[in-house]
Amino acid sequence: MIHINQIKDGEILVFANTVLFSKDAIFKCLYWYGDKFHTNVSFADSETYCLSLKPLSNASIKQDEINLYLQKLERDLIDFQLRDTIVRETHNVRDLLVAKAFSNGEFDEDPIGLISDPVGFVPL
Amino acid sequence: MSIIEAKSVKKSRKFSELEFFDNNSEQYFLLPFKFHRLNTNKEVLVNEVGDLLVLPTGTVSRIVNRQISKSLDFELYGDLLANFFIAETQIPPLIDVLATRYRTKKSFLDRFTALHIFVVSLRCEHTCHYCQVSRVTQDKGKFDMSWEHIDKGINLMMQSPNEYITMEFQGGEALLAFESIVYAVTKVKNLAPKFNKKMNYVICTNLAVMTKEILDFCKIHNILISSSLDGPDYVHNQNRHRPEKNSYELTIQGIELTREILGRDRVSALMTTTNLSLEHPIEIVEEYYRQGFRSIFLRPISPYGFAVRNERKNKYETEKFLNFYKTALNHIIQYNLNGEYFSEDYATIILRKILTPFPVGYVDLNSPTGSITNVIVFNYDGAIYASDESRMLAEMKDYTFKLGHLNTHTYQEIFYGEQAQKIVECGINESLPGCADCAFQTYCGADPIHNHATQGDMFGYRPTSTFCQKNMEIIRYLIELMDSDKRIAKIFESWVKPRH
Repeated sequence: MIHINQIKDGEILVFANTVLFSKDAIFKCLYWYGDKFHTNVSFADSETYCLSLKPLSNASIKQDEINLYLQKLERDLIDFQLRDTIVRETHNVRDLLVAKAFSNGEFDEDPIGLISDPVGFVPL
Repeated sequence: MSIIEAKSVKKSRKFSELEFFDNNSEQYFLLPFKFHRLNTNKEVLVNEVGDLLVLPTGTVSRIVNRQISKSLDFELYGDLLANFFIAETQIPPLIDVLATRYRTKKSFLDRFTALHIFVVSLRCEHTCHYCQVSRVTQDKGKFDMSWEHIDKGINLMMQSPNEYITMEFQGGEALLAFESIVYAVTKVKNLAPKFNKKMNYVICTNLAVMTKEILDFCKIHNILISSSLDGPDYVHNQNRHRPEKNSYELTIQGIELTREILGRDRVSALMTTTNLSLEHPIEIVEEYYRQGFRSIFLRPISPYGFAVRNERKNKYETEKFLNFYKTALNHIIQYNLNGEYFSEDYATIILRKILTPFPVGYVDLNSPTGSITNVIVFNYDGAIYASDESRMLAEMKDYTFKLGHLNTHTYQEIFYGEQAQKIVECGINESLPGCADCAFQTYCGADPIHNHATQGDMFGYRPTSTFCQKNMEIIRYLIELMDSDKRIAKIFESWVKPRH
C-alpha cells in the first residue's frame, strides 16, 4: 500500500519505511517537535511507520505554517537517519578513541596507530 | 600496510613518496562526526575533536552513501581525510593523535576546581532590580562571612588538586567587607607556597565604595578588579539603583582610579543584560569603546528571577536577546573592519573552542559541567554551593545545589559526594538527549543548574531550553559569519590569539 505524507484535519502525517528508517532516528527526530506538537509513532502497516504531529493548543501555529512543518519533518527525518547511520558505522572507533584518550597508557599499543612518531621527533 | 608491518618499520612523519599513498582505492570508512544545516545552502560537519568543514548542503548524504570519489572529488576527499571525517582503514592511522587531541580538549578535568568564590558579604548599597541576593543593611553579624568560615574555606581551597587557583571575592558588595578580604588574602599569601598553589585574586565590585587605600592593597597583592558597567548612564543607572542615582558616575570614577593605580589591564567590566538593555545594543557597545575597553561580554539575562519556568516567555526573551546580541556583535565587528581591535567575550570563548585545540575554562560551556569541577562557592553563611547561580537559587529557597557546609563537611563529601555526582552526571552533553547528536556539542556545554531553574529538571528538555536555543544560534551564527566573509574569519582568529 502506498502512503502519502499529508496534512489531515490540521494534523501532520508522515510515513517512513521500517527498512529504510531506524526507530532511533525516528524518535530522535520527533524529540525536537515536542515543544509545539503532540507527537505519536505507530505502524501504518507491517512495513511502515506512521508519524503524527498534532499542534499543541498553546503553540499558536498558523495554518500556513503547517505546510512548512511538514517539509521540515520530511527533511529532518532524512538528516536523523544519516546521523543514525554515522553513529552505527563509527561507534566502535569512537569508543576506541575515547578509551585511548582517557587511558593511562593501557590502550596506547593496541591497536597501534600506523605512525608511531606522528610529530616527527625521531629522525629517519 | 598491515599493523604488524607498521610496527616493524618504524616510520616518522616525514613526507612519503607519492607511491606510498594508495591513489586507486575508492573505499573509505566513516569516522565519528556530526552535522548541522547552517543555512539553506550550507551544512557544517564537526568531528569528535571540534574540527569543522562547511560544505554544500547534501554533502553529508554523499559521504555516508559512499558517493565521494577520490579521483573526481580530490579536494573534498583530501579535506575529509585530513580532518578526520573519513579514513582509508577501519582504524585511522593517526588515531593516537586524535586521542591526544580529545584528551587535550578534556584536560580541564585533570586540573579540577580552579575558581573558589568567597561571598564575603551580602550587604550592598545598591538595590539593583535584577539582584536576588543582596541586602541593604548594616548588620555585619548576620550577612558577612565570619573569619572562622573564611579559614575553613581556605582550608578546602588548598586541598584542590589544581595548582592554579583563583580566589574571587563576591557580594553583595564585597568591598563593604574589605577587612575580611585583607584577612583572607594575607592568610592565603602565607599558606599558598606550602601547598604549591599559584594564586590569582579577584574582587568583584560595583566600585561605588572603592578608595585609594583599597587599591594600594590590591596593587601590593596583585589583585584584579572585576566591575560592572551596564552601558551608558541612562541604562546603567536604571538597572543599578542607588538612592543618589549616581551608580554610573561612581563606576566610571572607580574605573579611572583603578586604572591609574593598578594599570589599564587590571580592571575589567561585565554587563548584565536587562529588558532595557535589549533596546540599546549599539549604545552599550559604544559606551564600552568610549570608556577605553577593547572587549565586552554580552551576557544574557539571568534566568534566576521571577517566572523562570515560563517556557514561552523565556523563549521569547531569548529571541530578543539573540537579536540584541547579533546587532551588538555586528557593530563590534565593524570596529574591527575599520582597523580597531575590539572583541566580544562570549564569542571569543566559543571561537577558542572552534579554532584552537585547547579547552576553555568557562563554567557555563563545559562538559562535564563546570559547576563543582571548575567552580565552587562558599556562601556568607558557610553553606557551600555548586556555582554562583546555585546560591542565587538558594536565595529563592531552592537548596538543590547545596553541597554541604563549611562547619560540617569534608572535601571528599563536598566534591565527590552523592549530590556532586548527581549534578555532574546530568551535566555531560555527550549523553544528554538532543545534545548527543548535536554538531555543536564540542563547542557547547551542559548546565544542569540552568535546566533545573528554568525547566525543573537537571537533565533538561532541549526543544524548550533557552540555554540550547541561545548557544545553538550563537554558534551557528559565528560559523556562518566566518564562512561568509573571510575578513571576519581573520578578525575572529585575532580574537583567540593570546594578547600580551
